[in-house]
Amino acid sequence: MSYGQRGIMFTATMLGTNTAEATATMPVSATYNGNGKKPNDITVRRNGLRNLNRLTSAIFFVLCLTFCFSATIEAKMKGRCRDCHSMHASIPFPVLTKGGCVGCHGQAPDGVQNVIKIGKTRVPQILHHMKDGDLASGNFYYVAVGYNPDYTKGHNVTGISYPESIPTMNIPPGFIGNVVIPGGKGPVEWPVEIQLTCSGTWGCHGNRTIYDPYLSVYTAHHTHNGEIDGSTVGKSYRFLYGIKGVEHPDWEYEATVHYHNGYKGDFNHNTLDTISYLCGECHGKFHPNPNLGGAKDVGFANFTTWVRHPADIAFSSVHGGFATSEYLDYSIYSLESPVAYFNPTGRETVVNADSIVMCMSCHRAHASPYPDALRWDYSQITTSDVRREGCLICHTRKGGHE
Amino acid sequence: MKWKIIIVKIILPCALFFLLYLPKGYGTIISDDCGACHGLYPGMMEEASPGEPQKYVLQNLLCVNCHSGAGRDTIKILGGVKVPLVNNTMMPVNLLAGGNFYYVVSGFSDRRGHNVNGITSPDAKFGSTPPGYDSESDSSVIGYNTNKPLACAGSNGCHGNRNVENPFVAIKGAHHADDSPVDGSTTAKSYRYLKNTNKVKGVLGLEDQDWGQNSSLKKHNEYSPSMDNFCASCHGNFYRKDKIGKMSPWFRHPAGIILPKRDEYMYYNPNVPPPADKPDIRMYSPDAPVARDVIPDAPSELVKPGTDIVFCLSCHVAHASPNESMLRWDYDAIVSGEAGGGCLICHTGKGE
Repeated sequence: MSYGQRGIMFTATMLGTNTAEATATMPVSATYNGNGKKPNDITVRRNGLRNLNRLTSAIFFVLCLTFCFSATIEAKMKGRCRDCHSMHASIPFPVLTKGGCVGCHGQAPDGVQNVIKIGKTRVPQILHHMKDGDLASGNFYYVAVGYNPDYTKGHNVTGISYPESIPTMNIPPGFIGNVVIPGGKGPVEWPVEIQLTCSGTWGCHGNRTIYDPYLSVYTAHHTHNGEIDGSTVGKSYRFLYGIKGVEHPDWEYEATVHYHNGYKGDFNHNTLDTISYLCGECHGKFHPNPNLGGAKDVGFANFTTWVRHPADIAFSSVHGGFATSEYLDYSIYSLESPVAYFNPTGRETVVNADSIVMCMSCHRAHASPYPDALRWDYSQITTSDVRREGCLICHTRKGGHE
Repeated sequence: MKWKIIIVKIILPCALFFLLYLPKGYGTIISDDCGACHGLYPGMMEEASPGEPQKYVLQNLLCVNCHSGAGRDTIKILGGVKVPLVNNTMMPVNLLAGGNFYYVVSGFSDRRGHNVNGITSPDAKFGSTPPGYDSESDSSVIGYNTNKPLACAGSNGCHGNRNVENPFVAIKGAHHADDSPVDGSTTAKSYRYLKNTNKVKGVLGLEDQDWGQNSSLKKHNEYSPSMDNFCASCHGNFYRKDKIGKMSPWFRHPAGIILPKRDEYMYYNPNVPPPADKPDIRMYSPDAPVARDVIPDAPSELVKPGTDIVFCLSCHVAHASPNESMLRWDYDAIVSGEAGGGCLICHTGKGE
């Protein structure tokens, strides 16, 4: 249940008692998520060894890494069986869960907790009413039946929302059938009577080649998943099969510029493991990967003007080059408009030419307070806006001037 | 002459031994001390008038009285006969396979066992309605009467003939009848006298002679999946395929399904590894026993994923246990991702 309890965090706090030059001023925390780079930014690596006995330091460092690595491979959800499962429930749900996906992850829609802790298990809530508590994916509260839903603001998921009544939204916008997805092919077509589900063929999470939503994520919550390499559902970013990334342990609640989700991007468009590709599995026409919309529906980097806003595109590939572009001024990571990285760590603070624009740069995965599940109110973003919010975080020269 | 000696001194005694003892089950009570059981109360031994039923004093309570103990031992000797105790007034040691009603009597919780009349009052939550009761799954023509309490035997009980309402009449004669082989043909020849009605076959199994006391890898009851059908008589909704699902993902925990020969289940009872030359075999766990379609002649220490069967008693005991839901273990203490037994004996992938 608690996605964030995986991808173990080993926080090595090294107080610099003997390494004054290196770390005396502040504790240094290093988080190694297994699929990211090693914590090379730990200052002690650069300076500390000069002042410590080299052998002792080396051993200490190796031990730290060893412990870190061992902790990583031990990562696994911990919690009492009874907290999530009921063996003989009066109202049974698949996999003996207490209410299915939403029963655990939306157990208190009126409640004010975005993460509910039951025993040792922390369960992220995708449907709640906590003020300023929306997690990285947003909050289905904005589209949930019974809470004055506005279906323009998010995905209409079975069990949370009714099907979209607008005919053009009976199928995912930009849908392309039979596209390549991890493990096989996506559905050839999306029947209008099919409503979006949390997982499975008609959902986002789990193995989408498996029709049954629960089978598609079967055992994922109990997988040893220290390394998120996309090889299994359990080892995929947020159980989005095949997708890589680094998971913030609190689902980005109170995330900082220094510590956030690490999104996987790839501007080569020859892999299936980026967060934007996952979106493109249903919204194919919005992704430039040749498996999906490609050049026809999105356009070519460095070659043509875009037909639709691209995703999985690095700033380096913009027309005219990055050095003279407006994107140069987006230099510090923004939680409001995050970017993806080729090898994400979740610790990136710098945005540069290699940073990658992704679907999540503008949208929330589940729902947001704004139309189109955007991270901001598109209707309020104007070229005269001097606050440089929303679109203007990247398109820095489109805004107004103070 | 030599042959006569051999016949008289060796073959004849052996033949007599087999004739006298083996065909009769060990459970058949043979004792010359009738009063040990039948003289518990004044008048019990008296002959009834012609045409009148025997005067079984406190009928249902007689079951309880014989099978209860004042101490902590779970087997007592009565009239020279070993009697399994299902209800101790002190915390029992060496529980029998069915558990002990001590845990529902002694201020613990209704949730720890069956609330049997004569032992404790009806369940505060469920009253006298068995959770998941489904009359279609109950072969008793009388059916379970939810206005009456659970009994040891009879239509509102487990043992004896459930087409008979009176608990004592329902099991009458079973203790003295020929009880072998355990083929389900009569109450006495059914595993632990569990035979719903005359029209259905009784439960099969191999009965440990100490009722599972001090059970181990090599000494334990052997269960048949027919036990599931029996439990379903009163808890049908926890067994019917349309109520639990036909395959994974299950809606309720299944019973009567083969322990899968794949994934985590192949490592059943991970704390006791199998012999190196039998990688496909697992070692039996008395904490999470399996049932078998073919009951072995002797307790088997081996479990075969892909063949052996998960059943109701893999998790529960029949009478009462120290744990809620009559589980064999403390469900609260079983934590995924950590070491432990219980659920994790089968669900090995959920452990450490």
